[in-house]
Amino acid sequence: MSGHHISTDKTLLGVAGALFILTILTVGVHYIHIPEPWSIIVAMGIAIFKATLVAAFFMNLYWDERFNTMLFIASIAFFGLLVGLTLLDTLFRPEVMPAF
Amino acid sequence: MANHSSSASHSRFMQHHFVDADQQFDAAKMGMWIFLVTEILFFGGLFAAYIVYRLWYPELFTLASEELNTLWGAVNTVVLIGSSLTVAMAIKSAQLNQKKNIAINLGITLALAAVFMVIKYFEWTHKFHLGIFPGKFYAFEGIDHPKANVFFSLYYLMTGLHGIHVVIGIGLMVWLLWRSMKGHFNSEYYTPVEITGLYWHLVDIIWIFLFPLFYLID
Repeated sequence: MSGHHISTDKTLLGVAGALFILTILTVGVHYIHIPEPWSIIVAMGIAIFKATLVAAFFMNLYWDERFNTMLFIASIAFFGLLVGLTLLDTLFRPEVMPAF
Repeated sequence: MANHSSSASHSRFMQHHFVDADQQFDAAKMGMWIFLVTEILFFGGLFAAYIVYRLWYPELFTLASEELNTLWGAVNTVVLIGSSLTVAMAIKSAQLNQKKNIAINLGITLALAAVFMVIKYFEWTHKFHLGIFPGKFYAFEGIDHPKANVFFSLYYLMTGLHGIHVVIGIGLMVWLLWRSMKGHFNSEYYTPVEITGLYWHLVDIIWIFLFPLFYLID
């Protein structure tokens, strides 16, 4: 069955090793102070890559039913809608609400 | 009569309303994924608030994040990644019928989750000591910005909600450890280990984003 993929130690340790290295990399990039907006783009790029590794190989989406991947991607799409529509409002106000 | 001709499993945890153990397993896993979707949107509201306030007050986020200790944030990231590895190892042990290794891996996961919460405790109490409280209770003079409390309100809400998830995870790991020691899990039945693992990996993913957003701002 699709739901019973057995990961090898090699895969699991490889993924964990990659996650450790990417954590060190993201902290290292922080200390070299690359200018905005690249600092946030690099930091989020590394975070998205790390999250993808966890979802694909620790949460087994790579071998799993495609439906579960679809659920995961749908949640990210709806999060994008939430942020996108909110920014369409708050970024284009003539002035930021004084109380906040 | 339902068709029980499948020879997939004779586990005592097999429920009568499923055709076979695989169907029961896949249904449980899909249910967990639907729950995780609601979790992502639950945290998503707070991430949206973070994005809006960061765009409104970029200079505040740069200033205030200097009060957070990058080293301890990084250590906690490594601790959580390690615990995700041991959860995946516990699932693999169950699939291979290595019953003792299930308990060992769950035990290590539990210990790492406890380390995470201890580090979190020291980070928070250090801030309380300085007078850094959320919202109107904010009493720290060290950051030259009128909205400094906004950053820390988001910090306490997001790391706090994440911390609650870690505590719930600790509770689930204790339950799994107890059941694994009673010999409930084997290659035929390990659904609770699998779906708790999914939950734990999502808690890890959320921290993977919280860490750079709060600790790694230049």
